[in-house]
Amino acid sequence: MNVFRHDIVIVGGGGAGLRAAIEAAENHPNASIALVSKVYPMRSHTVSAEGGAAAVAREDDNLELHGFDTVKGSDFLGDQDCIVYFVEQAPKELALLENWGCPFSRNEDGSVATRAFGGMTTKRTWYAADKIGFHMLHALFQHSMRFPNIVRYDEYFVSKLLVDGGRCNGVAALDIRTGEYCTILGRAVILTTGGGGKIFPFTTNGTIKTADGMALAYRAGVPLKDMEFVQYHPTGLPGTGILITEATRGEGGYLKNNKGERFLVDYDYGVGKKAELGPRDMISRAIVQEIEAGRGFEGAYGAYVHLDLTHLGAEVINTKLPFVRELAKTYVGVDPITTPIPIRPVVHYMMGGVDTNIHGATTLPGLYAAGETACVSINGANRLGSNSLTECLVFGAAAARHAMSFSKDSAAPNEKALVAQCEEEAGRVANLRGRKKGGEKISAIRRELNNVMEACCGVYREQTSMQTGVIATAQLRGRVADLRLEDSSKVFNTELITAMELQNMVEVAETIAVSAAHRKESRGAHTCKDYKGRDDSNYLYHTMTHHDPAGPRLGKKDVVLGKWIPEERKY
Amino acid sequence: MADKTIVITRFDPDKDQAPRKQEYKVPCEPDWKVLDAINFIKDELDGSVAHRWSCRMAVCGSCGMMVNGEPKLTCKTSINDYGDRVDIEPLANFPIVRDLVVDLDGFMHKFQSVKPWIIRAKEKAADPIAARAALHPVKGTYSQSADQLATFKQFSMCINCMLCYAACPVVANEPEFLGPAAIALGHRYNMDSRDEGQGERNEIFRGEGTVFSCSYANECSEVCPKNVDPAAAVNQAKFGAVIDWAKNLVLPRGGA
Amino acid sequence: MSRPAHPHAMAPHTPGRTRTAPPQMPSTWWSAPRIRNYLLFDATGIVYYLISFLAIGMVQALARGPESWEAVMTRLRHPAYIAFHVLCLVSVVFVAVRFFSLFPKAQPKAIGPIKPPPGPVIHAMLYVVWLGITAIMTAILAGVIF
Repeated sequence: MNVFRHDIVIVGGGGAGLRAAIEAAENHPNASIALVSKVYPMRSHTVSAEGGAAAVAREDDNLELHGFDTVKGSDFLGDQDCIVYFVEQAPKELALLENWGCPFSRNEDGSVATRAFGGMTTKRTWYAADKIGFHMLHALFQHSMRFPNIVRYDEYFVSKLLVDGGRCNGVAALDIRTGEYCTILGRAVILTTGGGGKIFPFTTNGTIKTADGMALAYRAGVPLKDMEFVQYHPTGLPGTGILITEATRGEGGYLKNNKGERFLVDYDYGVGKKAELGPRDMISRAIVQEIEAGRGFEGAYGAYVHLDLTHLGAEVINTKLPFVRELAKTYVGVDPITTPIPIRPVVHYMMGGVDTNIHGATTLPGLYAAGETACVSINGANRLGSNSLTECLVFGAAAARHAMSFSKDSAAPNEKALVAQCEEEAGRVANLRGRKKGGEKISAIRRELNNVMEACCGVYREQTSMQTGVIATAQLRGRVADLRLEDSSKVFNTELITAMELQNMVEVAETIAVSAAHRKESRGAHTCKDYKGRDDSNYLYHTMTHHDPAGPRLGKKDVVLGKWIPEERKY
Repeated sequence: MADKTIVITRFDPDKDQAPRKQEYKVPCEPDWKVLDAINFIKDELDGSVAHRWSCRMAVCGSCGMMVNGEPKLTCKTSINDYGDRVDIEPLANFPIVRDLVVDLDGFMHKFQSVKPWIIRAKEKAADPIAARAALHPVKGTYSQSADQLATFKQFSMCINCMLCYAACPVVANEPEFLGPAAIALGHRYNMDSRDEGQGERNEIFRGEGTVFSCSYANECSEVCPKNVDPAAAVNQAKFGAVIDWAKNLVLPRGGA
Repeated sequence: MSRPAHPHAMAPHTPGRTRTAPPQMPSTWWSAPRIRNYLLFDATGIVYYLISFLAIGMVQALARGPESWEAVMTRLRHPAYIAFHVLCLVSVVFVAVRFFSLFPKAQPKAIGPIKPPPGPVIHAMLYVVWLGITAIMTAILAGVIF
């Protein structure tokens, strides 16, 4: 078996992973950094972000405001020390990204332009037309290429963290090209694998977003935090779930029902004057209520409402929202210049993830996490649009700094033990490859998982369906061990990867269901029909789920409060 | 719903001497893209078909394939634009790894060789962390006018989907050729007002198998799903490389 | 795909870790309409190659004397020669139109402070220059000027 040795190993090549790699490589030219990703880094799902990245930039804005917006957006579940650190670092990180070549849109005077976004008091979302994620990912990836000490492992699938003596010291990775396992050793490991939107049937997420990092950490004994908080983005295309950015509303777009009313203005949904610029959880709930009140449109893929941009004019749409126009024309056959776009709420983001502290460190020494896969938590119960890209940068860099200093101080890993673990993992996966004796079909289990999770953890949740979800996901966890695979070839066996991804998703889905069923209140994205309103006296804490062969074991962690005292969340 | 015969190129180096074709009957929905048909095959008919895909919204660049002989982004191409029989092959001009998966290693190295990052000639922060602490969202960023942005923005839209390489007749015949996307991205940085690395990149562009190998067939721009127009970039880069060479002749070392 | 591309086209930088099938060109490499346009564009080279022989022959005939020149002139009246000249004309027009259409976007966005005019203007300028030169040449040959 091939054994590769590095100072740190980063798993995941998206925004957070690349930022972490650059931070480590730039400040430690003699260190060797492994960047392991199951796809080429430029395919990572950061690429799909559209609207922008938030950081204070204007004269009329300040860190205090950004901090409070984020805390309020999180429904007071965000850790305030982390949020303060986040808003402080945000402008520097975005300025760095600009220095590295990201083609931000500009004001007349040549400075970086900002736009309005949901839940933000003022314009603080830096953007590049409507493709910030794409430009950020490519700018980071291209910048990362200049560092010879970043060693990329493209198309390597990590299926196990190697832990010895209570420290995480590397990963077991399957070289997808050859089908052979290799041991990639480092004195610290950073997980930056993104979320797991593919657990749900209707999602903006790409097919690679299968909660791999969360499952890796969870199995290694690291708790997952706040998993019940799954963000529904208000505006996805029916059928495909393709994201139509919040920037459409930031630029002045309207949401309309089948009577042509701007329902966020005409009815009281708690967003007040913010109307279309309310936070995502509230807007998604409003859309669902409109549809339930019979004021939606009926379509082949369920009911929807309209996102009307026609009043913005061709000029604004073509210069600021060209990708939205391309997507609407290609995937629903609608030109937003003349016709409203059909949209409905769609699973977009997981606020929860691997429990980390402000430095990105998990409870397992040597293991760090950043980006969507981590839960620091700055997002609490609901993330504000355009905070997540900045989060990738801020906490990707922070995790890299602390992982590097950890790696310098720690003793050499016990290579023999780690390689033995990797060999065992290779044996397990060899048995899974082309496992014809199995009884369960991958696509069938995935469909079942999707349906269970949609019923269990929608925009509105009910205690009974959440309980059903807990039981159903536990059953699926048993059944997913008995998959039937047809492809026994070693080279580029994507079926094998899909099977392991499905196992990851089932494992993480169970933590979502269990966490959701236990939280008997309505907070942020977790809206329970049986329990109206937030219950700070009983539920102002982070839900922790620990791995246990019998199923997730629940725990609690205190929310770090600060200068912002929880109050009623009304806009 | 219409039944179509989807013909997929199969190649498994463990079993096949050479690529072969396999046919599948697929009930195609009216709004399906080509990718949906391939995913249907993978999910329901034959789990051993290998292909790359992810975002299914035409921005990650994974799913480029030959559809009836034309390079296409399969998530953006309607299956019903084609007849009852659709031929799906791996991207032309690339070594085939497995089924619809091609080897991108050659591209990645060509891409890296054009130095696709901002090069600043003079300022080299001695202490990057101290420099970063001083970064300010306005003072710490470069000023760039809308005009300056427009000179390179188009070329920065490349999603690395490789359709241009599959279409380019020079790529097919000249293994050293850097190819459309790599040159376009190098040129993108040359045109960026924040960059000062034109000298280095133009030297690369004057080398063997680079911009001057392009015969301006314009095929790359015809197939580009993102309107990057790599042919324009490559041919602008020719001018750039020549002007730069002439400048060096008159004023060696950039006049400094 | 029916025709192999160069066996080393887009070869990996480090030798592939598994055996690959050699790169192929699309089966439509010669028949798809836009590719055919490009191939025709390249194929016009053959026409210029041939007409250069004709031109050299004419110069030689001129050097040999009036009889020789007259013989060439007589030969050129043959329908085959006329057809060939029509082919030359079509080729030139085709190449000019295609080249002119691709020319504007290949211009540098700026040379120092100087910016080229917008694409359509360059496009129009090319046609004006082309037609102008043609007119002057015709005038010279017809003996109107010089």
